[in-house]
Amino acid sequence: MNRWKRLLIFFSVMGPGIITANIDNDASGITTYSVAGARFGYSLLWTLVPTTVALVVIQEMIARMGVVTGKGLSDLIRENYGIKAAFFMMLGLLVANFGNTVANLAGWAASMEILGLSKYIMVPTGALAIWILVTKGSYRFVEKILLFACLLYFGYVISGFMAKPDWVPVFKSTLMPNLKWDSEYIMLSIAIIGTTITPWMQFYLQSSIAEKGIKKENYAASRLDVIIGCSITDIVSFFIIVTCGALLFPHGIRINEASEAAMALKPLAGEGAYLLFAVCLANASLLGAIIVPLATAYYICEAMGWEAGVNKSFSEAPQFMVIYTLTIMLASFVILIPGAPLVFLMVLSAVINGLLLPFVLVYAIFLVNNKQLMGEFVNSRSYNYISWGTVVAIIALTSLLVLATLIPSLSL
Amino acid sequence: MPFLGEVFSSDIIRQPVLDPKGEELGRVKDLAIVKGDPFPMVSALIIERKKRLFHLPWLDLNIFNKKIISSKVYKESLQAYDFREDDLLVVRDILDKQIIDANGAKVVRVNDIKLEGYNDNAALVAVDVGMRGILRRLGIERGSEEFLGIFNTSLRYNLISWNYIQPLRPKLGAITLTVPRQMLSEIHPADIADMISQVSREEGTHLFKDLDIETAAEALSELKPEMQADILNAMDTEKAADIIEEMPPDEAADILSDLPAEKAQEILSNIEKEEAEDIQELLGHEEDTAGGIMTNVYISFPPDITIQEAMERFRIEAKEVENVFYIYILDKDEKLIGVTSLREMILAQPDCIFADIMETNLKTVSPGEDEMEVAAIISKYNLLALPVVDENGYMHGIVTVDDIIDMLLPPSAKRKLRKV
Repeated sequence: MNRWKRLLIFFSVMGPGIITANIDNDASGITTYSVAGARFGYSLLWTLVPTTVALVVIQEMIARMGVVTGKGLSDLIRENYGIKAAFFMMLGLLVANFGNTVANLAGWAASMEILGLSKYIMVPTGALAIWILVTKGSYRFVEKILLFACLLYFGYVISGFMAKPDWVPVFKSTLMPNLKWDSEYIMLSIAIIGTTITPWMQFYLQSSIAEKGIKKENYAASRLDVIIGCSITDIVSFFIIVTCGALLFPHGIRINEASEAAMALKPLAGEGAYLLFAVCLANASLLGAIIVPLATAYYICEAMGWEAGVNKSFSEAPQFMVIYTLTIMLASFVILIPGAPLVFLMVLSAVINGLLLPFVLVYAIFLVNNKQLMGEFVNSRSYNYISWGTVVAIIALTSLLVLATLIPSLSL
Repeated sequence: MPFLGEVFSSDIIRQPVLDPKGEELGRVKDLAIVKGDPFPMVSALIIERKKRLFHLPWLDLNIFNKKIISSKVYKESLQAYDFREDDLLVVRDILDKQIIDANGAKVVRVNDIKLEGYNDNAALVAVDVGMRGILRRLGIERGSEEFLGIFNTSLRYNLISWNYIQPLRPKLGAITLTVPRQMLSEIHPADIADMISQVSREEGTHLFKDLDIETAAEALSELKPEMQADILNAMDTEKAADIIEEMPPDEAADILSDLPAEKAQEILSNIEKEEAEDIQELLGHEEDTAGGIMTNVYISFPPDITIQEAMERFRIEAKEVENVFYIYILDKDEKLIGVTSLREMILAQPDCIFADIMETNLKTVSPGEDEMEVAAIISKYNLLALPVVDENGYMHGIVTVDDIIDMLLPPSAKRKLRKV
């Protein structure tokens, strides 16, 4: 096969992995990276390397399942583990993703506020725009918007260069693990993994691959897509940490929110960096708010066997439209009501995500080793060691995160 | 006779199987099925005992219902079982699978499977694709029903009859329907009738409640007389009257004549006067005579109007008429003097009058004629409808071909053949 043809195949199947990986850096992800950079400078950069490896290991299996079976993860769980497993998993996903939607709309609200626009106008407008875009817009139009939004992530790369970091210590701390016995340090490094590897991403990736109908013969290109996508995710994370590490850390500025990072950048790096950070946060938040509710509604309906589809009416696909619409509506309300338990919701969502992840990963690894489903594409014995090792490590770390969230006094 | 009545697969799975002494043989793990006519049948239970699987043939069962499953054999004579690719198993191959319609679109999932007694066997009659199935699997069907009862609503049954499911093959990824997706919601009333006659009486009545009046009327007229009476009896009078009003008078009269006189009268008094009179008139005839099966709604014109005028009147009148293929020509005294077909009328010059084109050599029957004789005449002359005329030449109605088609079919063709 000549090289150009190979490239062509790659481009035709390219997409799911790269888009998935980008959406992974949603409002809560960006917050985590900004906080990590401001608090510890470059010293947490090294965690991105194992995180990327773990992400590639997991998503490669998920992508392989999507290509070989042509079905989504929620379908496979329902068909192989029955309705109870599927039901409770979907219930968990619904609650966790409601939290994710709130987080994303909150990110949108915060970025609008620092740009001087009232959230009471911008949240309803944004929510309505998302709803109309998805339910009334054509698929091609939505896809173009998504691709454009993915490009905007490179704003963070630009801001990283604008921060003019000293590149030697940057690369040194990326490649040399730097362990600190500090509770905040450990929690943040776990949080980086937790925000990168989430349950719903696995559903999203497998469904979009299954829906694209990628053939087994082209699996190699799909794997490349996943590897590139995972790398892009963490390159974006890398530059966010670098920006905050270079500009905020030396001044000892502590932040709790991604939007505070943008505000803090204004006097230090000027209007450009501030605007870039704010716009990129708005973009990532809105992108998350588009995808998360939509994806949730799709998986739930597919697992439960309900009619699904964005261009269907309420009477044709009642459960789908109710889940999709209510998620966006209630999430907007929660943000606009003064004194709403935002923090509680975020914690709840993080905890449920953490509880869900082990099940998702263990089901996935059993499914990928099911000969009846996967045929010759099951994991090899040596790959199983790697994947089980990764899964066990992730489960251990997220359980720690859940425990520490539930019992703050336990914090190491 | 091990199995009578009906049961869902979820009621059976994980139930204990007892030996003749009442000791537990194991628990039901799966049901093996074989092709059958008209429905697939359960051929054996796969039971699990201490992590090992055994094969218990259907014939070795003593009792099989949702409360008790017992066998005639002891554990010593159980045969070990290995999952084989080419066996067809309910849980492994059917339950939870995606149902795909004839056009390849994903539709719904199999939430549960309904079994019903059929000639001593357990037949798979329908798949449950509704909310009820999900709740039943989660073990909260009864609770949800009571909860919804507080708000005076109820859960709908949503079953797809096995008729619509393509033959199953072992190791399938999804279950395919023989109909496109749209048809699932717009199933022909005749097919709805078919489905209703396969589910239990109680569920049939339930299914009926959800249909709109028009579909209900059409579906009702396709059902067997006893079934019709049952369903109407269970319905409140007003809704029953609405449905009866929607039906052609002859079919309405047929159904009412099967109801208790009191109920029939009650329904009639709720129907618009004109319609009620038509039905009343038909009720006066013996059931299996021409008068009993005829309808008194048909197209008739006087002999001296032009075709052009007739066409205009036809456009208005034909809306309410079941059979419009023949146009009857009546004189001033309502006596039948001729007939012409819709085709002749369309092909005729607009300024002709009916007297010029009508056929005067008429085939008619008297109201008291036996229905078999009526069928014979319709069949002999290849008619779509036959006028019913009394000895004085007055026209009472017409018997249409669909009223007698059941009599013309040989008995074997009435029983629809179904696929596994």
